Amino acid sequence: MSPAVRAVFELAPYLAALAAGALLPRRSGWAERAALGLTAALALALVRGLWPGAAPAPAPSPALEWPHLLNVIVFLPLVGAAAILFLPRQSPTLLRRFTLGILVLDLVASLFLLRASPERGWHFQFIADWLPSFGIRYHVAIDGISLWLVLLTTFTTPIAAFVSFGSLKTRVKDLCFSFLLLQGGMLGAFVALDLFLFYVFWELMLVPMLLLIGVWGGVERIKAAYKFFLYTMAGSVLMLAAILYLVWSHREVAGYLTFDYLALSRLVLPKTAAWLCFGAFLLAFAIKVPMFPLHTWLPDAHVQAPTGGSILLAAVLLKLGTYGYLRFCMGMFGGPAWGAAATLASVAIFGGILYGALCAWKQDDIKRLVAYSSVAHLGFVMLGLFAGTRAGVEGAILVMINHGIATGALFLLVGVIYDRRHTRMVREFGGLARPMPIYTAVFVLVTMASIGVPGTNGFVGEFMVILGTFTSMTLGSNAQMQGVAAAFGVILAAVYMLSVVQKVFFGPVTNPKNAHLPDLSARETIALAPLVALIFVLGLFPRILTDRMHDSVDAVLERYREGRLAHQELPEHATTARLRDRRGGPLERGYPKSPEEREAEAAKLAAATAPASAPAAQGAPQ
Amino acid sequence: MNLLFGLSPFLAVGVGALLLMLAEAFGKPNVAPGVETTDAGAGRAGELALGAAVILVIGAVLSVAVWVAGPESLPELTQVAPHLVIDKFTLFFSFTLCVGGALAALLAGGYLPEHGIDRSEFFPLLLLSTVGAMALSAAGDLLTLFVALETMSLGVYSLIGLRRGSPRAAEAALKYFLLGSFAAAIMLFGLALLYGATGHTDLAGIGAAVRSIGSPGSTVSAGKILISLVLVLVGLAFKVSAVPFHQWTPDAYEGAPTPAATYMAVAVKSAAFAVLLRVLLVGFGDERLASWGAGWPPALAVLAVLSMTVANLVAGRQESVKRMLAYSSIAHAGYALVGVVAAMRSPEAVSAVAFYLLAYTVSTAGAFGALILCGSRGAEAVSYEDLAGVGKRHPAAALAFSLFLFSLAGLPPTAGFFGKLYVFRTAIDSGLYTLAILGLVNSVIGAYYYLRVMVYLYMREPAPGAPRAVTMRSGFVATALVAAAIFVLLLGMAPGFTLDMASGAALTAR
Repeated sequence: MSPAVRAVFELAPYLAALAAGALLPRRSGWAERAALGLTAALALALVRGLWPGAAPAPAPSPALEWPHLLNVIVFLPLVGAAAILFLPRQSPTLLRRFTLGILVLDLVASLFLLRASPERGWHFQFIADWLPSFGIRYHVAIDGISLWLVLLTTFTTPIAAFVSFGSLKTRVKDLCFSFLLLQGGMLGAFVALDLFLFYVFWELMLVPMLLLIGVWGGVERIKAAYKFFLYTMAGSVLMLAAILYLVWSHREVAGYLTFDYLALSRLVLPKTAAWLCFGAFLLAFAIKVPMFPLHTWLPDAHVQAPTGGSILLAAVLLKLGTYGYLRFCMGMFGGPAWGAAATLASVAIFGGILYGALCAWKQDDIKRLVAYSSVAHLGFVMLGLFAGTRAGVEGAILVMINHGIATGALFLLVGVIYDRRHTRMVREFGGLARPMPIYTAVFVLVTMASIGVPGTNGFVGEFMVILGTFTSMTLGSNAQMQGVAAAFGVILAAVYMLSVVQKVFFGPVTNPKNAHLPDLSARETIALAPLVALIFVLGLFPRILTDRMHDSVDAVLERYREGRLAHQELPEHATTARLRDRRGGPLERGYPKSPEEREAEAAKLAAATAPASAPAAQGAPQ
Repeated sequence: MNLLFGLSPFLAVGVGALLLMLAEAFGKPNVAPGVETTDAGAGRAGELALGAAVILVIGAVLSVAVWVAGPESLPELTQVAPHLVIDKFTLFFSFTLCVGGALAALLAGGYLPEHGIDRSEFFPLLLLSTVGAMALSAAGDLLTLFVALETMSLGVYSLIGLRRGSPRAAEAALKYFLLGSFAAAIMLFGLALLYGATGHTDLAGIGAAVRSIGSPGSTVSAGKILISLVLVLVGLAFKVSAVPFHQWTPDAYEGAPTPAATYMAVAVKSAAFAVLLRVLLVGFGDERLASWGAGWPPALAVLAVLSMTVANLVAGRQESVKRMLAYSSIAHAGYALVGVVAAMRSPEAVSAVAFYLLAYTVSTAGAFGALILCGSRGAEAVSYEDLAGVGKRHPAAALAFSLFLFSLAGLPPTAGFFGKLYVFRTAIDSGLYTLAILGLVNSVIGAYYYLRVMVYLYMREPAPGAPRAVTMRSGFVATALVAAAIFVLLLGMAPGFTLDMASGAALTAR
């Protein structure tokens, strides 16, 4: 077959999708049709790229991993944010296009991360000395867990920005700046493997989110902004104290300063110190997740934030708390994390899953309802992590991704009616299915995903979490009971979501203001299309995610178990820390070198070059 | 020659001050034709500010030059010891002081003409006061210590009262002067007692005498030493404005012209910390005194906790941004005191405090500068309400203000974050966990009122009919802000070089 014919065959599905997207919907303008078609084709490309076994398995050679890829992904939005400052305020169109361009470019760049082999170990690792006298390095890498969170971020931010540009018309420059800065901060926090670097990115996210809530938010936006900022900062300063304590302990044991995750996670602290440091990290992450009873900032922040801000808050920012627990609490404090898991799991079930669901049920404001449903879903994530089984942790990661997609879509949909009616109260609506059929269809679909109906993405994760809880050794004798209790959460989710769907969409049109609401606009359809596509793709083929996750999850659990054993072996009244033995292998690639090792390496290098340079040096005087 | 080179930062600023005074006295007033004036410097704030800034920048550059050349390689410098101890510690602080002074001078160049207090004696006074501050950071002898302290303070007293017609300014100046004189007198009494007890005026000699307490043949009385320590601490706590010796601070800052308040907040405080470190570590560095059981660390720890907590709580209740910044400077004194306490165990803490003060200097000067920029002729931005909506009308001013506030609040990636990290790291290294955690929790309380400025800048609109603050246009203020912003970002993201400088800034006991 000639290459031209083959190219036509390869392109045919995309062309078909393009044609279907452009021709099927009843749209007037050609621009809208073209955009819809393009979205369809891109969604198909995404699906085909993710399809298991579709692409030839990437050869596991590190040569495929361009080491600067992560730098590009993280710093592209940050540099873009700096560049925004120099663009003219008077031309909002230019600013919007520039921002979207950067975000889409970032999405494309992050798709190349899929070329990483699914083996355990760190991929796309990049290490550079930053402040050698403090032992601070610029160390970024991904594994099978952070890979998906990075993709989730780069995927949802353009959608959130695109939606926001439709509804927020004031102070576009500040808006673009906030989105880009936020994107950079989130991505950086997911890939940082140096605790200092992680902390920098972690705090960097606060400011743009503060602006998003406080500038474009609702009536009570300033109170919500304060609450968001002070809660998060209160958690993170104690984490900073714990980080500094870890660094100091490491220096006492190993003799040199380092903030590196790989080194600090080998540290076995004396028991009291370990519990206190674990508590400090847990507090920071539990506030971010948020776990009951620290969740009170979330409903306020969600309700007041504009749609784009809510999408990012739910889809990505909350995941930083769960990711942080998985990576840092379980990775560095295996003993206390194991010891506290059973108690915390009960908190996650009763305070998060059940209480969150009951609160959601009683809300009149749809956005507040979705916010409380986030508390419930993240309860599932935390439960999976506390369970500490492979199924539980993988399920937790799946719920993270799926919650990002489904709840992001829900917030987007709530934003749609808010833009039309400037209210979100359930009692204001009723019978929306008649004027807005497409909107209703999409809403019901996303609701199904959020409830966890089989076939949609929500099902797989929650099912795996409950399975993992049921078989968990960590949770002890109550594990089965806890599994059952968590399963009630799924039922409650159906109760609160379906009751709101019934009240809003079905029945007669009670409020005359709703009778002639326009259906989804092109912008909204384009923003929703990829989310809806992913709901099905990930619901039917969760292996896309889990295949790349297995090895990394095993590695995390191994580290967790080792940490727990080392903690238990430590004598009860030990007052000094110690280091676990190095295991070597791909998980410790990039381990920070002590000054002696560095000197030895330099000496070796000098010795290697000496024979070549020595004759030259001798020859020079003659 | 080497001696001259070693002393060149001091000489440059001192001689520059004298030259500037001559230039001011013999120049022609630059006023509109027909206006009678007896003030030869009237209308010339711009050129004098430029002159003062250039002189101070030269001082800063020379400090770095001597630092790089290495004061230990200049043996002639021992000739001026112990009256002036030129070591890396001194040079780092004189760099900080010159930077702070230069920023204050630039701010004054924009502020004074704008608000009709075009009195050019500001600049020579500023320079002379800076010479005093630099000498204070170098003082290794009680005599130079006191003379330098008074040189520095006298200049500041008159800077505060510059706005002669205003009762507020007179009150501020008088308050600062009276309380300052009291504190100086108390400290002088302590110094006299110290001399009487040990027979030495140089700190190294005093340190040796203190160390000999308890050894056979020693006649030094421990009681006298302790009393003098308390008196000296009181005097210096007044200068760094630690709670409960802080009462003058908000009033003085509010009444003073903003550039003078800036100078007080940055330079006076840094110099006072320099001399505090030197007196405590060289003069009272004996293990028995520098221990947790007895001596100065617990007293300073109490001062630190009080300063942080009280100042942060009170700052949140202020309605005036200037007063809020005054309380914030008290809180920052508390954070730096944590580092001073840590210095009893870890020599690195000295570097941490030095770095912290540099970060604090550029951030505070920047914040005051941004406040200056937000007000214009006749309508100085003072209260939060004045800042409402500035983010929309003058984005650049608001952006600069936010950057400096983030630095003061200690958010990465700014200088203030790194300074805090360094100080609290040394505190944790020395086992002062409670102090470090209290400090960190305090920085959250502090974030509230810095955030409040942000909220007014970006999220509130001025009440209808309320007078709107109009930002001023001044190249001087803009230059100062840009320079401070560069420092803030540089120290936050690439502090490597400065950290190396700071970690070399160890005290030498001569």
